[in-house]
Amino acid sequence: MMMWTEKYRPKSLDEMVNQEEIVARLKGFVKTGNVPHCLFAGPPGTGKTTAALCLAHDLYGPEYHNYIMELNASDERGINVIRETVKTFARSMAMGKVPFKLLILDEADNMTADAQQALRRIMERYTETCRFILIANYSARIIEPIQSRCAPFRFTYLKPEHIAARLKYIAECENVELLESGIGAILDVSGGDLRKAINTLQAAASVGKPIDADVVYSVVGHANPSYVKDMIEAAMEGQFLKAREILRDLIWRYGVAGTDLIRQIHSQIFKLDIPEKWKIRIAETIGEIDFRLVMGANEEVQLSALLARLAEYGQLMGRGG
Amino acid sequence: MGAVLWTDKYKPRTLSEVVGNEKAKSKLLEWAKAWKEGRIPEKKAAFLYGPPGTGKTVTVEALANDLGFELIETNASDFRTEAQIKRVIGSAAQAASLTGKPRMLLFDELDGIVGTADAGGLKAIMGIVKQARCPVILIANNPWDPKFRPLREMCMMVEFKRVGKRDIMKHLQRICEREGIRADRKALAFLADRANGDVRSAVVDLQAVAQGKKEITYEDVAWLGMRDRKKEIFRVLGNIFHADKCSRALAAVKEAEVDLDMLFEWIYENVPRAYKDPRDVARAMDALSRADMFKGRIIRTQDWGLGRYITTFMTAGVAMAKEKSKPGFVKFSFPERIRYLSRGRSERELQMKIAEAIKRRCHVSTKEAREKIMPYLRVIFQNNPEMAAGLARWLDLDEEAIKFLTADAKRAKEIISLLKAS
Repeated sequence: MMMWTEKYRPKSLDEMVNQEEIVARLKGFVKTGNVPHCLFAGPPGTGKTTAALCLAHDLYGPEYHNYIMELNASDERGINVIRETVKTFARSMAMGKVPFKLLILDEADNMTADAQQALRRIMERYTETCRFILIANYSARIIEPIQSRCAPFRFTYLKPEHIAARLKYIAECENVELLESGIGAILDVSGGDLRKAINTLQAAASVGKPIDADVVYSVVGHANPSYVKDMIEAAMEGQFLKAREILRDLIWRYGVAGTDLIRQIHSQIFKLDIPEKWKIRIAETIGEIDFRLVMGANEEVQLSALLARLAEYGQLMGRGG
Repeated sequence: MGAVLWTDKYKPRTLSEVVGNEKAKSKLLEWAKAWKEGRIPEKKAAFLYGPPGTGKTVTVEALANDLGFELIETNASDFRTEAQIKRVIGSAAQAASLTGKPRMLLFDELDGIVGTADAGGLKAIMGIVKQARCPVILIANNPWDPKFRPLREMCMMVEFKRVGKRDIMKHLQRICEREGIRADRKALAFLADRANGDVRSAVVDLQAVAQGKKEITYEDVAWLGMRDRKKEIFRVLGNIFHADKCSRALAAVKEAEVDLDMLFEWIYENVPRAYKDPRDVARAMDALSRADMFKGRIIRTQDWGLGRYITTFMTAGVAMAKEKSKPGFVKFSFPERIRYLSRGRSERELQMKIAEAIKRRCHVSTKEAREKIMPYLRVIFQNNPEMAAGLARWLDLDEEAIKFLTADAKRAKEIISLLKAS
């Protein structure tokens, strides 16, 4: 038993059925045996990492692991990793018939600016022995000089029918009964993110019943509880202490990052049953706190300050105390 | 195993290992060298003084060791009447040692010499100093006590000052290295601060929090540091929340000997308990949010001068936030955040371990593993033991991790037995 996302991850570019244009260009690289530095940008679950691994597979063969290094910048984002690990790998000679190795740098947009500067030089100096594939959600967070050294590839959300087809295929292979309403529900909760869709499918399958919309939503509810919504409501009802408790749970027990929390709060605000002009005012406050999160030292303090504001607004709106 | 005191275990053996007080050390070394080389200095005795834990005694011991003196010592645990002192030391002051080593006499802890029980003790010491044919060293915390006046005139006075924070941190760091403990810099800084120049008390504190651990963090030491200062903190908090002028709130901190980071946590915890009106709470939290931004700025720029703005916002800023609230008696709570941090660590470590396992298999960062994959794993582990057992094998999860993911001991057992059966 594996995670299905891994079990059904395409091994070769030929198996990739989405992102046709990109796949075609990558196949061209394999044919000529030459790969430029690449920047794969696009939302999560759209095949960026898969494409990079498939490219490596097709280029070097099944033993491709010996020719590549996979690094995740959000775990190893510091300049030292770039100067040591990356440089050592980049400068060493390639051993096979392809004259260069591949360095796949995932979540490259999480690299510090210093590290990116260091990387830029290394990319230039060791081009002969190493090619880089940078993977990022937001290409804008990659510094200009690196972008200009890379061939850009823009990954887009997968179409619903493509995701549905993949889900059906997996359900068949795994002998799982997947109903139409279940597919619809998975598409609804996963957007165009195939990884999320497959994870949802596997979690739903673990329940052991035919997968319909109810099963999917209950699974998703357990996986993504409505804590953020509860927290906002508690704050706006004037229960600041309770709201702060939930915040602490989210940060300390569930390990949710402050920037993710504020994004979720922002999107929740527009679903609230409050006067429209207040939504804008709250959004402004959220924006200010988002800025302070970046400036500050402690996420909890900043988010608490936001909750205290929500409690104040709640009172001004005539809700709660 | 744990019975050894680190203050003994890591007591400096040579002068170079003694931290701080460079001036005093070299002055003393020069004086002792003269003795060693047969030149009798003008002052035959040295009077070392200064606050506790600044290294007076260890300096003498290390000095004797370095220069090859035999150290003959009395301290407050000995009776020090005139007769006793003469018996133990009197002869030593004259005769050469049996081992052939030159001697050095040490009268430690002279503050403890008591008029009645140690009758005539000081007089005997003066007599010994006058006739000494070997170096004599006296140690006291407070040399300005009138009873020492005649002695002071006969002695070279050597002042030991409180040891600097950096030197103390260096010493603590060395101990941690030898003990195989990974120490957070902030934790050591906190211990050093708290010691206030007293190396010995810093080492005692360090042993109390760090013994038997692989790692110490700021939270470990901060938590310990609070216990004896709770009353003090409560008083400061009361003064801040009740202050009607900025200057009062600021003064509340200045007077108090509390760690500012810790005070921040206390204020942050108790703002919503002290103030009731949501507008006041919002204003006070805004002040804390601003203080936090200056913390962030200090971390990035290392410009510690910005610290004054943190203090301003967290005290005066919070005090001035109240327009509607009149805090009466407030029951202050211990900062939950500190509790979370110190308790939740093992849970977070476990989470990280699982995230690392997922990362190895699924080409994601630990962050993504935690946020995007672990929630689904939880669902699977709670619903389907067979699938869970298979995934546990694939990810190479241990029993602890399985228990964490199921959050249900019975389920976890089922999965573990399935794992073992196959």
